[in-house]
Amino acid sequence: MMITHATSSFSDPVLVRYLALGAVLFAIGLVGFMARRNMIMIFLSTEIMFQGVAINLIAFSRYYHNADGQSFVIFLLTVAAAEASLALGLVVMLFRHRQTLNVDAWSDMQG
Amino acid sequence: MDYPLIIATACGAIALYLMMPRGQGWLVKLGALIGVLALASGLSYLTHWASVQFPAQHAGGPGIFFYAFALIAVGSAVGVVCHPKPLYSALYFVLMTLAIAGLFVLLMAEFIAVVLIIIYAGAILVTYVFVIMLASSSGVAAAAVDYDRISADPLIAVLVSFLLLGTVLETLFTHRPHGFIAAGSTSLAAQGTHWLGLAALGKNLYSQYTLPLELAGVLMTISLVGAVVIARKNAPQTHMLGLGDMPAE
Repeated sequence: MMITHATSSFSDPVLVRYLALGAVLFAIGLVGFMARRNMIMIFLSTEIMFQGVAINLIAFSRYYHNADGQSFVIFLLTVAAAEASLALGLVVMLFRHRQTLNVDAWSDMQG
Repeated sequence: MDYPLIIATACGAIALYLMMPRGQGWLVKLGALIGVLALASGLSYLTHWASVQFPAQHAGGPGIFFYAFALIAVGSAVGVVCHPKPLYSALYFVLMTLAIAGLFVLLMAEFIAVVLIIIYAGAILVTYVFVIMLASSSGVAAAAVDYDRISADPLIAVLVSFLLLGTVLETLFTHRPHGFIAAGSTSLAAQGTHWLGLAALGKNLYSQYTLPLELAGVLMTISLVGAVVIARKNAPQTHMLGLGDMPAE
């Protein structure tokens, strides 16, 4: 069967490449999360990090022939959607208060 | 210690540092050049690593599609982080989502690929674009505002996250004689190779994870209500919240 053949060719070096790609995406998202000053961009960067994690989960699911990884990605997408809706609601509310998306405008909210 | 790997990671860090928005165009071009160099050295290191550690399996690499999708994904992720205009960043994010969906198809997770496109490119990104256009007075044509043009502390951000990336990659590329299968876990041969894709996912989701699935539905409902309450047009007055006298803005 063709699928069985393709499954057996998913070896360690291939898995490591996918994991490395996930790590690279996570790092890029982390840079954006820490360095951007626009609130919307900060949340968009967290979505990049989510996708890096999702690649890891799917690659391991493929490697172990186990659907658990794909189920986890379903939950990850659920949480990402919930997070995005709440975060964007918060961004809209904060923008109405100070008419800016700059996070530094809210730096008086400390301690 | 893998010096080529460290050098490639450092090149990537320098490239991303130079490409962070700070209002100077030629630095971005220099950063893009170094970034291409970093990606090329990383890829050559990967090829060398696979041929040394797995001489038998070297022929069965991931193929051209993996590299194409991975390059698109990494390039557009850099575009998301580095573009000074949020709307273009959102469009780069759509591109990255499509590339990652392609990778998921390669990984035989077709359902997840489709769901990723529908949820991310279809729903989440539309919301983002709406909020970007709603909240920022500048549209596509207007010049980027100050807090988008100049990023905050790119040096610290790049240092921290690429230190993390270097550590992860260093751990990843150290050779494991027995692969990733931990001692005591069942081997692949014992589990059989019945990979049924969507059917296996559905069976797994509705047998093993039924309760978490219901909880995910509850979470979605709560976040829906929360988003509506938070983003209401007439924000509740302070006396309604019982907060007393809040400092005036």
